Amino acid sequence: MTNTMGTVAAGVERRTSAGYLPGRPGIWFFIIGDLLIFGVYFVCYMVYRGQNHGLFLESQQHLNQQIGVVNTIILLTSSLLVALGTEAARTENNRDAFRLFGAALAVGALFPLLKLSEWIPEISAGLTPGKNMFFMFYYVMTGLHLIHVVLGLAIIGYVVDDLRSPKPSIRFAETGAMYWHMVDVLWLVLFAVFYLMR
Amino acid sequence: MTSYLRNPLTFIWALLTAITIASWSIGKGHGSDYHISATITAIVLILAAVKAQFVVRYFMEVRFGPTWLKFVAYGWVIGLLLLLLAAYRATL
Amino acid sequence: MSGTVAIDARSAFRQKSRWYENKKLDQYLCFWSVPVFYNLFGIVFVPLSWMMPPRAPGNSIAGKIAFMQSPNLLVASTILVLALGLAAVGNAVYMSQMRRMSVNPAFHFAFLAGAIAGAIVGCLFPMFCFGLGAFRHGYRPDVLAMLYDFGYLSFIGCLGCFFLNWSCLALAILLDKNNVLPKWLGYYTVWQSVTELFAATVWIAHDGPFAWNGLLAFWFDMVIYVPWQIIVYVCIYQAIKRQPEHELPNCQPVPQAIYA
Repeated sequence: MTNTMGTVAAGVERRTSAGYLPGRPGIWFFIIGDLLIFGVYFVCYMVYRGQNHGLFLESQQHLNQQIGVVNTIILLTSSLLVALGTEAARTENNRDAFRLFGAALAVGALFPLLKLSEWIPEISAGLTPGKNMFFMFYYVMTGLHLIHVVLGLAIIGYVVDDLRSPKPSIRFAETGAMYWHMVDVLWLVLFAVFYLMR
Repeated sequence: MTSYLRNPLTFIWALLTAITIASWSIGKGHGSDYHISATITAIVLILAAVKAQFVVRYFMEVRFGPTWLKFVAYGWVIGLLLLLLAAYRATL
Repeated sequence: MSGTVAIDARSAFRQKSRWYENKKLDQYLCFWSVPVFYNLFGIVFVPLSWMMPPRAPGNSIAGKIAFMQSPNLLVASTILVLALGLAAVGNAVYMSQMRRMSVNPAFHFAFLAGAIAGAIVGCLFPMFCFGLGAFRHGYRPDVLAMLYDFGYLSFIGCLGCFFLNWSCLALAILLDKNNVLPKWLGYYTVWQSVTELFAATVWIAHDGPFAWNGLLAFWFDMVIYVPWQIIVYVCIYQAIKRQPEHELPNCQPVPQAIYA
């Protein structure tokens, strides 16, 4: 029950032509709304940036791009692990699902640690939210994202706990996974907009 | 465990990681050579949209989802990319 | 035995009863205070006193004094003094529905504590500050400027209390197995509580999108908050309507009572 195409195919069988919505429907309401809210923030950032290119460009250089890249890869890996874990859960391979979600939790937990190791030197060096508009946007948006990450880690923790029980809920595992993928997508955009673009 | 290495999702992950490293090497820089660059911005944003699209389509399984979800999810990725590029362009 | 017959007869009679005999009248009275309060609040704060949208934090001293001593602010403060108590009733209505949820009572107690703290800081303090400007004359300009800052910062900066408040409500709704309120409302309430966090930037920014009258710290929050407030009214109203009468505390038959 651990073959690769088998797990994908097994998942496919559950899907009808009307489309399959993984997880509890309410989480999609949340995901879409959250993406829209962040979307508004991103566009506002771009507009305000346009009014002061020089300031934003100069401030951006203080960000730690290396930690940014590592964090991106951390979230991508964690996302992969929950996706594989979801497939395992669907084929009732609870042992593998437990390990995969557990690994996702362990990898994902590195994100807040790295974020703090990035922020603490920056704040000590005087790069606080109040310093200028760029840093206000940066801390507000990455801060909001960090809260989502911490919440996501808690949810995955509950999923891991549930997978240990004799009859775990596949829906719940899917719900947690979808939320975590949303967190990943948001970070992909954050990374590009704050760390990389000019 | 090696079966997971051959899983299509793992291949997508490898692609995403490669794109991340590529866009980082394009976008990084410091000091005097760090100035406004519409090209770099466009490349970086488009690559981010490509990555987001992969995650949405394959990890979030929107490719198997209902039609309205496909509209909304893909629409968000493309719409946000276009809005960001337009806002950037308009204020250059 | 005759007691039970009497109660059945009352049930039959209830079908043709007047609105004042509705067993949920107490809840409905409390509930309707909420729209009344918010409408009064809305009139007071927007067209009457120009408190909302918030005046600029970077206003000049003369501007601040003109605002603090305007006649509109006087009328607004008067109405606020008289109507503030309704906030307590409105919050109690939320709480009475939260009590029906299957989650631990800690949630609705924390909700109430957050609501009380928030109402004091977010409504009472601004009322005092602006009331001082409106009802008492002769303060120095710098004192009035301080009261202006104090009032607005309390009004928008009391976010911590409301963050606790709405987070308790959101979590209670999401974990509730009795489905008193719909799950999507729980998710919307999560956004509502997060907008309280957006407001934290007002302590730092004096102008721009993150100030207390800014695009992101105020206007965008309103875009999320106003529909939420209306939707929550509607959902609570539905919840009151759907609540089975045998669950109501005032419907329990008193043992050994003699009913007419």
